[in-house]
Amino acid sequence: MPDPRKKIQLLISSLEELRLHVGRKDLAVGKQRVNALLFFSLANACLRGRCVLLYGGMGANKTTLVNLLGSSFLSLSLDEVEDMMVTGHPEQTEEKIVGFLDPRQWTAAAAAESTQVLWTAWAKSNWKLINEINRFPSGKQNLFLEILQKRKISYAGQICRPGDTCYFATMNPEFSATYPLDEALLDRISASVPAAQPDFLAGLLLSEREQEVRDLASMLPRLTPQEFSSLPEKVAEKPLTGQVELAILCLIRDFTLCERAPAYDKTQLSLAKPSLGLCSGCHYHNNPEAICWQVDEGLSDRVRQDLRAFCRAFAYLLDRDADLPVLKAIAPYIIWHRTTPLRSALERPPYFGAGKLAYVAELVEKSINRTMNERAEMNQIFSRAVDGELAAAQAVEELSTFDDPIARLDFIPTLEQMR
Amino acid sequence: MKLVRFMDAAYQGKASGRKLKTRPGDMIFSLEDLADQVGVKPTRAEVEQFVPQDKNQLDMLISLDSGKRYSLLWGYLTSLAAERSTVPLLLPCRDYAGLELMQGTIIMQEAGAHVGERMKGGKILVRGSAGDYLGQEMEGGGIVALGCRDYAFRNMRGGYGVVRGDGGKFTGLGNSGGRIVVQGSCDERAGWLMRSGSLYVRGDAGDYLGLLMSGGKITVRGKAARRAGWRKKGGSIMAASFGPEAADDVLEMD
Repeated sequence: MPDPRKKIQLLISSLEELRLHVGRKDLAVGKQRVNALLFFSLANACLRGRCVLLYGGMGANKTTLVNLLGSSFLSLSLDEVEDMMVTGHPEQTEEKIVGFLDPRQWTAAAAAESTQVLWTAWAKSNWKLINEINRFPSGKQNLFLEILQKRKISYAGQICRPGDTCYFATMNPEFSATYPLDEALLDRISASVPAAQPDFLAGLLLSEREQEVRDLASMLPRLTPQEFSSLPEKVAEKPLTGQVELAILCLIRDFTLCERAPAYDKTQLSLAKPSLGLCSGCHYHNNPEAICWQVDEGLSDRVRQDLRAFCRAFAYLLDRDADLPVLKAIAPYIIWHRTTPLRSALERPPYFGAGKLAYVAELVEKSINRTMNERAEMNQIFSRAVDGELAAAQAVEELSTFDDPIARLDFIPTLEQMR
Repeated sequence: MKLVRFMDAAYQGKASGRKLKTRPGDMIFSLEDLADQVGVKPTRAEVEQFVPQDKNQLDMLISLDSGKRYSLLWGYLTSLAAERSTVPLLLPCRDYAGLELMQGTIIMQEAGAHVGERMKGGKILVRGSAGDYLGQEMEGGGIVALGCRDYAFRNMRGGYGVVRGDGGKFTGLGNSGGRIVVQGSCDERAGWLMRSGSLYVRGDAGDYLGLLMSGGKITVRGKAARRAGWRKKGGSIMAASFGPEAADDVLEMD
């Protein structure tokens, strides 16, 4: 079987040539520039059990793009893919989304041995699009906490096993009929990508499109089921470099460690948080090199998994190593929707204001650069102590001279326990 | 895999700097920045230490919405701005304007609560009505307002306050100095626990005028309602007429 990457590259060029997606190349991975919306969607199609949220105003080609990709990856018509998606509104119920009890079983001559459930096309599909996810009322959003990233769906004691699934969601910014997304749900969303309206040139190109999207979609290259199912394996073959593994670990700790939180873990905080004055007077507060005080939330272990998975997927799509430039490019999209930067930090020079993604990108860059440069010595001391090459007591003494949250709040307590 | 090997692979033999750079974040661009430095309940001296010297920046800070959380900070900033300004400072209707003001002039169309609190000098002119605690604990300077709500000039120690309309309840409560003039009427318990200073009311006064007062002078050109001077221990109360149960030593004006 030929490598499906070639077909995916053909798909990318076809989407542009057919004027089905002509977004700006707004994501720089080293020297390569790609469209973030398209490449995160493609990367998600190469993975399983991850969810990508496309976030943007109306008509920014979010839903259509996911359906076009679904049509190509599942080798179905656009109509068939569109029929599988669910769309958020307050009257949506679990029965409409997942499935309902088959009423015929109550009138059948011989009662079935087990309860019969009629599963919806969405439930049975392994390409799940939740359209307008923030139009589901908050209570109904909880349904997706259970479903996202899972390989099976349960209802009325019965289980539907669609297998490894690609999850997509779209949402608009806050409008009058939308609801805020719960933090737990946001944490289950692997990456969030802004979908901007077409720029001048893109608008010009789109005006050249004269055929219906439906007709053009049929011209897109299609992956065979074998090719589609082989993608996760191909992605997994891409090894992460040691630098990436280390940078991911330190990045998560930079966001999560907090001197004033229980167990130094910011995810334990509920009412007290940096934006409510928790950090006032803290040693790291207002130090632009420290990240802990600049965002309210810590990062869960899901972030680590998502960073590793998307690094590999991008490396596969771009046919390059899963190295630091890939991590620096993708990490902001994986973190920004899970965190709330301090408003005062956004409003000071260089004035990120509403540019939350750009601000998180700067924090990511800062953390990775720090790990690769200034943290080398302390990381090596810690590793020597863990491997038994250096006495824990001596390592603690040496580490105590490092004014770094990871050394003080993570390494030293770990070594103290080892003594 | 040994952790040392993992680190060696990551750093590939490179190792450099070791300290987290500490740069004091002392730039003040918002009230949150200032609160980061001094907290939300600072002293005037603490605010003065961090307040920007640049007039435009100070004006920008005053123009920001303080909300309830930063109202004390905003109050101090208004006083510092008024003291530095050569012309009267025009302010929007908010709480704590002119907090601990020492000199300069503030003009407001309407005023919130605690305006002119602990002021020691300068003037505050409120063209409309003021909220509660107008001029509370003031020691000097003067406040002129069209009207006010309750607790105006509470614990006043010096300066003057003029209410061109009606005052609320408890005007001049616990005063130990200063002069208060109410050109309209004032509600109950004006001059309550007054120890020194003067209170002049051109209209009528409510019940319990000068309740438990031990010093100072209260003059009411209209009628004082019932129980004027109730259990007073000193000072004087004069009014055109008194309601029932007035103290024995109150004086009726001709």
